[in-house]
Amino acid sequence: MKRVNLSLVLFCLPALLLYSTFVLFPAVDGFRLSLTNWNGLNPTSEYVGFSNYRELLEDKMFLQSLLFTTRYVVYMVVLQNGIALFLAIIIESLRKGKRVLRTIFFFPNMISMIIGGFIWMFIFTRVFPQIAEFTGIMLFNESWIGNPEYSFYSILILSLWGSVGYLMIIYIAALQSIPQSLVEAAEIDGANRFQVIWHVVRPLIMNSITIGIFIALSSSFKVFDQVFALTGGGPGTATQVVSINIFMEAFHMRSRYGYASAKAVVLFVLILTITGIQLIVMKQKEVEY
Amino acid sequence: MNIKRLINVVLTLVVTMLALLVLAPLVLALINSFKSNGEIYTNILTLPDTWLIDNYVQAFVRTNYLRSLGNTVFLVVLSLTGIVLAASMAGYKLARTKTKLSKILFTVFILSMLIPFHSIMIGLVKVTNDLHVRNSLVGLAVIYVGIGSPMAVFLYHGFTKNIPREIEEAARIDGCGELQVYTKIVFPMLRPITATIIILNALWIWNDFLLPLLMISDKDKYTILLSTKMLFGQYSSDWSKILAILILALLPVVIIYVIMQKHIIKGVSDGAIKS
Repeated sequence: MKRVNLSLVLFCLPALLLYSTFVLFPAVDGFRLSLTNWNGLNPTSEYVGFSNYRELLEDKMFLQSLLFTTRYVVYMVVLQNGIALFLAIIIESLRKGKRVLRTIFFFPNMISMIIGGFIWMFIFTRVFPQIAEFTGIMLFNESWIGNPEYSFYSILILSLWGSVGYLMIIYIAALQSIPQSLVEAAEIDGANRFQVIWHVVRPLIMNSITIGIFIALSSSFKVFDQVFALTGGGPGTATQVVSINIFMEAFHMRSRYGYASAKAVVLFVLILTITGIQLIVMKQKEVEY
Repeated sequence: MNIKRLINVVLTLVVTMLALLVLAPLVLALINSFKSNGEIYTNILTLPDTWLIDNYVQAFVRTNYLRSLGNTVFLVVLSLTGIVLAASMAGYKLARTKTKLSKILFTVFILSMLIPFHSIMIGLVKVTNDLHVRNSLVGLAVIYVGIGSPMAVFLYHGFTKNIPREIEEAARIDGCGELQVYTKIVFPMLRPITATIIILNALWIWNDFLLPLLMISDKDKYTILLSTKMLFGQYSSDWSKILAILILALLPVVIIYVIMQKHIIKGVSDGAIKS
């Protein structure tokens, strides 16, 4: 081996070794397991070909969790980015209080969504009913955890609470990098606030919007903690997202590791395809200046 | 002009209201954590009549607070040390070597950033069983180094590319070996990106729940999140105790955020933009 390569390998060795053992190998092994009927206990397992994948296509619970996750992802991508961008634009335009507001909105992002979920559980199950009593607004008296139609929105509220601040920080950084001269030039030419935002600011922060949508897409497809803490996937399996479904299949319900692995492979391919398409489509829309 | 000012006032009000709404759950959890269950049932929105410190005493004992805090700190510090060392060495060398092998290795590292954790979770449980590193905090830290390294390698790689090589060359001429060049010259220059990497990974590992849940089963090895989750299950609707437990679990994060919020926000936005 060439001397440069030898020293390269030595420097990369610790990272490479741990990364191969705990990421690459489990990923490849996961695919292998998805072709078996391993149950997690037996030392041996049988090769079953693609039968796990065929079973997936008729697994109502899995398909339902895919559908539920997709609905969640769509809401999250739109709302997380929309609210973050809205907050960023307004906070940046303020003269006072920028820093305090930024600090407050980012704060939930520091909190584990397990803890955040438990706190919101308190809000939904204890505080809401008393607000309803107080104000007479019946919306607060609904079963926000127990009724799946409402618990979808509870999960959404918790997730937005925990994640909007992160994207807001990214959008604030993007807004700050816009040359002030461009905005001023547009204003001198008589553009109003919305025209400035739409025609000047929007194209210049397209790059960040691509990042924002990418982050929202990939993180919400993987959502786990929020659902685990708030509803645990219930009632029944009504709010089960894909990651919870995989977790239950492998570690809680039936220890079907092989079958759960097939689900994990599907999740991987799904995230890869969708974020890949998103990046390719959106990269074409970005402009340089 | 007046309409413009009116819009500004309205928008400022809306944002301020939203900020209060963001804080409301935390404030409500805090004030109710000092109440008895009876008072929570009747007056949830007011300050407590009598401030019950006892909720906190019990929470402190039942969560084995110092123990689980110590475990979490130990886990995070050990993981961060490993990630910073392993990834800075690899990232730096990958940026400085221009061979086919370096390109392949870099691609291999990048590749994994696309793999979601849930897709490696089952294989990971199997491999850690086989290697007997489950149910150990050191083992867990080693796994975090494996999972956290690629992103850090990527950031170090990008940062190293912008450092001039001349200083390293000079050190080599003065007789420094490869390892010395790295420890004495390069590593100190990587400090800004090291800070970013520490912030990003500390946040992730401190708040990570699923991996410790899968790996740790001994009570005295529980992290803060694990002991909180277990007690939450036991106390089901005894909210006065649960809330005190939750506030205790939040406390370290709040303190660190208050002290370091500027650095944290900068680290997070730098990290997101670069990757």
